[in-house]
Amino acid sequence: MSKYPEYKHDKGRAYFDRALKVIPAGIYGHLGPSEGLWIPIQKWPFYSEKAQGSYFWDLDGNKYIDYMCAYGPNVLGYNDPDVDAAAMKQLKLGNCTTAPSKIMVDCAENLVDTVASADWAFFCKNGSDTTTLAVMTARAHTHKRKIIFLKGYYHGDFQWAQKIDYPGVLPEDVCHNLVAPWFDVDALQKLYDEYDGDIAGLIAQPYDHGNFYDNVPANKEYWQSVRKWCDDHGVVLIFDDVRAGFRLDIAGSDHYYGIKADLICFCKALANGYNMSALCGGEHMKNTVAGMTYTGSYWMSAVPFAACIACIDKMKKIDLPAHCRRLGTKLTNGLKEAAANNGFDLVISGEPALFYLRIANDDSLMLHQEWIAECVCRGLFLASHHNHFINGSLTDDDVELSIDIAEDAFNVVRKNHPELR
Amino acid sequence: MIDQKTMAYLNMYAVLGTLENLCELDGKSKEILSSLKKPVSLCFDVKDGPAATLTFSQKGCRMEDGVRKCDIKIPVSSCEKFNKIIDGTVTPVPSKGFAKIGFLLKTFTALTDRLAELMRPTEEALKDREFFELSTILTFYTISVALAQIGNQDPIGVHSAAYMVDGDVYFGIGDSPAATLRVKDHHLVTIKKAPENPRAIMKFADLDLAYALFTGTANALECVCNGSIEIHGMASMIDNMNRLLDRVALYLG
Repeated sequence: MSKYPEYKHDKGRAYFDRALKVIPAGIYGHLGPSEGLWIPIQKWPFYSEKAQGSYFWDLDGNKYIDYMCAYGPNVLGYNDPDVDAAAMKQLKLGNCTTAPSKIMVDCAENLVDTVASADWAFFCKNGSDTTTLAVMTARAHTHKRKIIFLKGYYHGDFQWAQKIDYPGVLPEDVCHNLVAPWFDVDALQKLYDEYDGDIAGLIAQPYDHGNFYDNVPANKEYWQSVRKWCDDHGVVLIFDDVRAGFRLDIAGSDHYYGIKADLICFCKALANGYNMSALCGGEHMKNTVAGMTYTGSYWMSAVPFAACIACIDKMKKIDLPAHCRRLGTKLTNGLKEAAANNGFDLVISGEPALFYLRIANDDSLMLHQEWIAECVCRGLFLASHHNHFINGSLTDDDVELSIDIAEDAFNVVRKNHPELR
Repeated sequence: MIDQKTMAYLNMYAVLGTLENLCELDGKSKEILSSLKKPVSLCFDVKDGPAATLTFSQKGCRMEDGVRKCDIKIPVSSCEKFNKIIDGTVTPVPSKGFAKIGFLLKTFTALTDRLAELMRPTEEALKDREFFELSTILTFYTISVALAQIGNQDPIGVHSAAYMVDGDVYFGIGDSPAATLRVKDHHLVTIKKAPENPRAIMKFADLDLAYALFTGTANALECVCNGSIEIHGMASMIDNMNRLLDRVALYLG
């Protein structure tokens, strides 16, 4: 008998069936069944009714402790009172106005004071807006064409960031993308030589946190050698900190690795779920960015700026990176032990704040997907293919509950697989 | 854009290769083969392209890769010309086996006509459930083999194969039929039976869904979302196989 009975999702499924009639794929993208890999779909909750702190509730009243954090934006906990109060206060003053609110300046100053490599901030809405601006800026700054990506990259879903075989992408959209392996500066030089120095920029996440494989943290030596190579060759170094930003280091993940990127992209954790993103950079890039033709209808809305200021202040106050590291380590140690108790080899990789999980008993991920499904339908929301996220409202009690549910789910999977004994 | 060399590989292994399944599953084709007094082998040898040998007997049809000992040999000067032969706009001329020309004109043509009838069915014909099922199953085998050819030959398809890790993908419809897409060092091979230890699984709920997917009236991603396509395992393999499936429609659509 399972300690945590399996949830039912009848109301959620009914809503999803309605959605399938009016929304392509019902829930498209990373929050949906396809990209989110809901295997099997009936174990997942479909929609949320409400959320608070580290938890959300589905339409059937089931409660989940959430380690996906909306894939990153929930950095302080859902409905954080300080962030929400700042946002509501600004909402009453004005939001999307013809003359931008002065709070935009306060927000930019706050980012410049917080992010070590930032001398300015340019605001947008999504991570893709900033990575696109960064790549355009690198080309405008250098008058060169090629961009180096590191293997397993993800920099959003705009055409230039997709791959040649993706639906709707033309070879011309990606013909200036070059891919180098991680942790190999010689490979960068080889590409530079092969393309006669026509390299505008190098865009990378702080470490190799791709999907479907164990994540590989970087180190200071690696990034310092990349920084030097970029300086020596006039290549703009772009840090895509959309996913990891602020969870490793409040001053930016480039600071965490002891360097200053030329451009750094933020989004997810910037405003605790309020919709905004920012490209920041050094003084030497400011004029180039000032000359870009790049804007959007909601990019200067004031409410997210207020939320962002409150979010950054609170992340500093609670020392978010230390909190994420401590609880991420405690959680993953507990999960590994729970796995071992049931005969499973759970591999933990990546930074504790953004841990990645994989059961290594088989090479197909099928056991892993089965365990993840048993966790989700018992109230522990994890993903089988993607790194996870710790948030600032998570407590030691939450972690202990999570490990208990995980152990129960391991026990269910073990019983389903007598051949593993 | 269609690449002629890739199309030739598809026509050889995916289209002509489906004659194996046709002769196994279709009563009318078995009847056509029953007139054969002894086995006849036919080899297509395409310059700078594929080569395969088909052997027909009363028991069925078997395709072997490459130029083998054969009764009739048809050398083809280019992939483009081979594709026109399959389209029916160019007549094949054997370099060997004139004594067996009757087989080409009668038996082989009857089989390829029957294959075309099933692979490009009329709406009226599909109202017959038995015909519909056979047509969909044969299309499944054609697509299964086409996946590998596109992954190995198509200038964009090779990028999808480049992201696939080694292992077997189960590709199937309901309880049957099933095929294996085997990946080794980013080279793909299709085996027309289910794998024993798949690293990934993509299974369509039934023949009706498979037909809808093959004819473009259903979308694979949407079907994953509504649960009518079941996926398990190394999802990056399925993701890239899905991109190859997208290109199959370009070639066979």
